[in-house]
Amino acid sequence: MAKTYDYLFKLLLIGDSGVGKTCILFRFSEDAFNTTFISTIGIDFKIRTIDLDGKKIKLQIWDTAGQERFRTITTAYYRGAMGIMLVYDITNEKSFENIKNWIRNIEENASADVEKMLLGNKCELEEKRQVSKERGEQLAIEYGIKFIETSAKASIRVEEAFYTLARDIKAKMEKKLVSKLYTPRGGHQLKASELQKKPTSWLSRCTIL
Amino acid sequence: MEDCVEDCEEIFSQDGVLLKQAPASHITFVNTIGTLYLSESLNSNKKRFIEWKPNDITVDSDIQDQEWAVVNTIQKRTRTLSGNYPADYQNRIKCIKFNFEEIKSFRVANKSRQISFYDGKADCLCIFGFQHGNSDTLLAILKRMLRISVSKRDKHLYIVYDANFPEFQQLDKSFAELNIQRDSRTLWSVFRNLKDHPYEATFEAFAKVTDYVYRSPEQRDIDDVDKENLNRSISEYENTTTHSQGDYEVVAKVPERKDFPRLRPLSVEQWKGHLNSEGKIEDVESVKTLIFRGGVTPCLRSEVWKFLLDYFPWSSTEADRQKLLATKSDEYYNMKLQWKRMTKVQEDNFSDYRERKSLIEKDVNRTDRTLDFYAGDNNANLQTLNDILMTYIMYNFDLGYVQGMSDLLSPILMLLESEVDSFWCFVGFMNKVIRNFDIDQAGMKDQLSNLHTLLAFVNPQLANYLDTHDSGNMFFCFRWLLVWFKRELSQEDVMRFWEVLWTGYPCENFHLLVCVAILETEKQNIIQNNFGFTEILKHINDLNGKLDMAVMLNKAEGIFYQIKESDHLSDNVRLILGMPLLQTQTSYGSHEQSPFEDSTELSNSTQPCCSVDNVRISPDEVAYERSINSSFL
Repeated sequence: MAKTYDYLFKLLLIGDSGVGKTCILFRFSEDAFNTTFISTIGIDFKIRTIDLDGKKIKLQIWDTAGQERFRTITTAYYRGAMGIMLVYDITNEKSFENIKNWIRNIEENASADVEKMLLGNKCELEEKRQVSKERGEQLAIEYGIKFIETSAKASIRVEEAFYTLARDIKAKMEKKLVSKLYTPRGGHQLKASELQKKPTSWLSRCTIL
Repeated sequence: MEDCVEDCEEIFSQDGVLLKQAPASHITFVNTIGTLYLSESLNSNKKRFIEWKPNDITVDSDIQDQEWAVVNTIQKRTRTLSGNYPADYQNRIKCIKFNFEEIKSFRVANKSRQISFYDGKADCLCIFGFQHGNSDTLLAILKRMLRISVSKRDKHLYIVYDANFPEFQQLDKSFAELNIQRDSRTLWSVFRNLKDHPYEATFEAFAKVTDYVYRSPEQRDIDDVDKENLNRSISEYENTTTHSQGDYEVVAKVPERKDFPRLRPLSVEQWKGHLNSEGKIEDVESVKTLIFRGGVTPCLRSEVWKFLLDYFPWSSTEADRQKLLATKSDEYYNMKLQWKRMTKVQEDNFSDYRERKSLIEKDVNRTDRTLDFYAGDNNANLQTLNDILMTYIMYNFDLGYVQGMSDLLSPILMLLESEVDSFWCFVGFMNKVIRNFDIDQAGMKDQLSNLHTLLAFVNPQLANYLDTHDSGNMFFCFRWLLVWFKRELSQEDVMRFWEVLWTGYPCENFHLLVCVAILETEKQNIIQNNFGFTEILKHINDLNGKLDMAVMLNKAEGIFYQIKESDHLSDNVRLILGMPLLQTQTSYGSHEQSPFEDSTELSNSTQPCCSVDNVRISPDEVAYERSINSSFL
């Protein structure tokens, strides 16, 4: 049967280098874990289509290089992201402390209403844990976002994390869609953030493309 | 398009045919594998058809995201299809079918692995990709069944000629659609040709129409782009280049591209022949030329790389080198001791150092682990890799460790094995690419911008395409440039590639010309598939493992000589390639005379996204484009 889907969501994985962003993505898109991973240079994305409440949702998930130095390049890809996974490593205190920097980074570069979620990865390494689950939960509450501890290696709650984020985006989007139906323009047009931020520039730009 | 239900006799079928582009009604099937049929109607009319049916199993490709626009309206897509169609919709329109009369031309690309059919109007009927072998059989049949001629302008383009068809009328119609009546001179010359050489002129005109159509499939607003695009596509074929000079474009010829076949690598005999009795290299230039042309034979690498990476001075004698080895070894172990001796308390009080150490540890553990040399747990070579990078921190504390550096060290250590030698060779390599790791990434931004400038000079059409598809910042080449194709090539190929580039021949920034060469090779794919921002990145990332290093170098060298010999070479291109500047053209180096012009020229070179498009973008948009670029960069 031919491949179709109802929605396409652009998601983004961000967090310090080595917290396991690529592994989480690989677990979710291929359901596999590979110990011979390479560090991500630049940016790449993978696709997986999931079924959610009878709708087919294509997730386009972007994976970024974690080192701070490359942020000027990677933030270029934040635009249009509808959901962001903030990933830290529960065995690395610093990666947890840096989450607030990443949040600031999102505020500066992504749309204001982007759905966010906090992931504490490598939860299979209990004996090396530096960040308690409670602290993760507390931080998530502070920012008003959801929190899950995952393990890409042991395949713990990775699926759940993406499904949760996708469900939240879908709910938000459908709410918007309904309100759109009552406007003269109607239709299925879902505005990406930039369109709202700089409507005239983007629109006028589209006309010449 | 015809309805599917009709009795037909199958003449030919080919499975594994990928639908690469289709009319809006069939957009759902794009990137689906199916079977292509050539069939003949059993009715009296004996019509012949080309038909394509999708397989039951579909390949979900990551590349084509035709429905992107459903959720992201930034990127303009005219052909969008919401996924909310009723279920039976798919079945009703499952197959694509068009009769031979609809085909006005077709183009074969990608070593006969792709055929595009055009209906001579504003639409491309379909593009098919042949996954199993190529389309030669189909092509042979088409050639037999249709009256075709090869386009004068493009040897891969076949124009279908039908004697029963009123071609003048069709031509007229095509021109009407192109809306170029305003340009009476062009039209007049076409009609004059029609009178003098009716057949040739007709074919040529069709070719132009087709060129125009397939070169800008996404363009529907013909009014805006007619002449410019038509000119561009034609000038492209005449091997000319367009470069922007302010608000108007100058079209000038570039010389023909020459072929520079790769030679055999520098051999032991050749190398020994260049050393005098003291072990000094007599003719450095000639050695470098040999290496540039063919690389270094593997057994000689561990010796020659030390010269290429400025560990051994080219002018040194064997005795000098022995002395050097001793001092460099001391120097290295001194630096190594500095971090080795650091106590726990020191480390705890030194967060910068701690961070670097942990980053190195993480990266070492994921550097080339698939290679035997670095495979397995507790591999001693990983420890060496780690120690060299740690020592480099002490050598260059301002830079420290940046991701990508372990990639640059890995082949060096694998070749030399010696820790000390590898360190100093790595230092030499880092000195060549140090700006790739600037804290603000300025070096990378400059290179991406320079790459755009070169591309715009060599292939303005592609540069323009990228600009108009949100990709003028060239970010998709980031990985290529950061680690010099380390992630794209095999270890053996990357060694060859690097040693060629380390010679510094034939010009500065030759690696950018390699990028231009690859992009040019991918141009058809990118433009014909109408790739946008996302697809371009994916396409480029997916070239990983598929690049032919020798072909890349060969082509890049051809491009270099083409640039060098062109008579309209601007100073910003000269500057990038390290060629002597023409003081006459602009005012480089004469600031006091015309500082204003100078800065304009410089800003042009750093803002390539705007230069090509000045003609069509209003000042507001240029300013906005600039602000986007500057915020991204």
